[in-house]
Amino acid sequence: MSLRDVGFEYVTSDRRVIRALEGVSIDIPRGTTVAFVGPSGCGKSTLLKLIAGLLTTTRGSVVVDGRAVVGPLKHVGMAFQNPVLLPWRTVLDNLLLPLEIMRENGDPRTPNRVAGRDRALALLRTVGLDGAEHRQPRELSGGMRQRVSLCRALIHEPALLLLDEPFAALDAFTREEMWELHQALGLDRAFTGVLVTHDLREAVFLAETIYVMATDPGRIAHVHPVTFPVPRTLGELYGPAGTELIRQMRDEIRPRREASA
Amino acid sequence: MSRANVRRLALPLLVFVGLLLVWEAAVPALRIQPIILPPPSGVATAIVETAGPIAFHARHTLVTTLIGFGAAVGLGLLLGFAIGASVTVNDALYPLLVGFNSIPKAAVVPLLVMWFGIGAVPAVLTAFLLAFFPVAVNVAVGLATLESELRDVLRALGASRWQIFRKVGVPRTMPLFFASLKVAVSSAFVGSVISETVASNAGIGYLMAVAASDFNTRLAFGGLFVLAAMGVLLYGVFAIVERRVTGWAYAE
Repeated sequence: MSLRDVGFEYVTSDRRVIRALEGVSIDIPRGTTVAFVGPSGCGKSTLLKLIAGLLTTTRGSVVVDGRAVVGPLKHVGMAFQNPVLLPWRTVLDNLLLPLEIMRENGDPRTPNRVAGRDRALALLRTVGLDGAEHRQPRELSGGMRQRVSLCRALIHEPALLLLDEPFAALDAFTREEMWELHQALGLDRAFTGVLVTHDLREAVFLAETIYVMATDPGRIAHVHPVTFPVPRTLGELYGPAGTELIRQMRDEIRPRREASA
Repeated sequence: MSRANVRRLALPLLVFVGLLLVWEAAVPALRIQPIILPPPSGVATAIVETAGPIAFHARHTLVTTLIGFGAAVGLGLLLGFAIGASVTVNDALYPLLVGFNSIPKAAVVPLLVMWFGIGAVPAVLTAFLLAFFPVAVNVAVGLATLESELRDVLRALGASRWQIFRKVGVPRTMPLFFASLKVAVSSAFVGSVISETVASNAGIGYLMAVAASDFNTRLAFGGLFVLAAMGVLLYGVFAIVERRVTGWAYAE
């Protein structure tokens, strides 16, 4: 996947032109995970929507698998800070929703009903929610709901997984568990991951490349490859190399914030 | 029946019976003429004595209300879906709806009588006019407040607008829709009785208007009690339906 000189502008209700993104050019090799970090308003989430085709670039182009993205991609997994489960469906039926849509749309990649169900149950087992398939979302804790949301993003085995602050609403310990879980899910699946986050540790733990973004206009200011081998451990993350990388990125983000404040 | 349910039914019932007793005692004690305010026992006697006609008129009112209500639910759903699904339709119609809804519907009854004559048709139409607004607004709100993240999750799977509407929009609107039914059925009931009082030859509203013009205060009050009972019953039925159908929307 590659982004070439991508820009996105929009006009606010009081007719100001906002340059949300400008001159973003990056390549994301298949099967790797990249993270975008930066202050609020740097266009991280916009970038994610441009990649998914939910928004259309006003400049430049997004190319996925050799084809320019012009409308919503049809086989992407997404998860957000808000798990947005359907409260009238059980956990299992929430997970099966993507497969239902694929089946209705005649997607040849759709597994049959039994295989789909097995896949859902296997995913729930991986995230430690075995036995929860018939529960209602409202009976689950925030961390459990987020795990279900992550499973829903993976059930159709997407080649591209887009995560927008997926763990931001969780407490610190649950969040670390989710990082390890996410890493485990990534090890036996070959998706390309794009993670948008405020949490620098999260980016270091999960991404192979981190893009530090700056605001006004939203753009990429720094690039950091993360060289720890995968699978990573929390010990490495909080070790000297991890801490040093986090400190460096914080310094890159901080002065800009103070200057603009 | 659980203790909580017994309490929920018994307490208001106790207060109601208490009020009736106070009323019963107050009429002779304050020397109120029964023609001005009959005691509850007198009202009860009137209801029993006139049970046949009351049943006939009550059925008429019920049927009128339900026809108007049914039409209101149908149109309210359609209009609500249109307004909730399309920003253009919303911008075009919503202000008109609000304006229309602020007309006191009793003022429309004379026009309806002029067009359709005295009888059930104006009553059905008044019931309809009062009832469709809450349905349309609730359905529209349910659709329009769909979380943008959920929409993104589905669009990224290649879901069409129609699929999003069907799989997510409609089910998540159901609690609001069923909540609106109990409001709408009460409104429809008010509408049909208003119209019956002004221009009809059947229905409890008509019965009360006739009783009042005969200075039959006992029967007029009897009509009032029957209306109250019917109103509570209609509301109750739809409140129970709401709980049954969309229980997921309520926290345990």
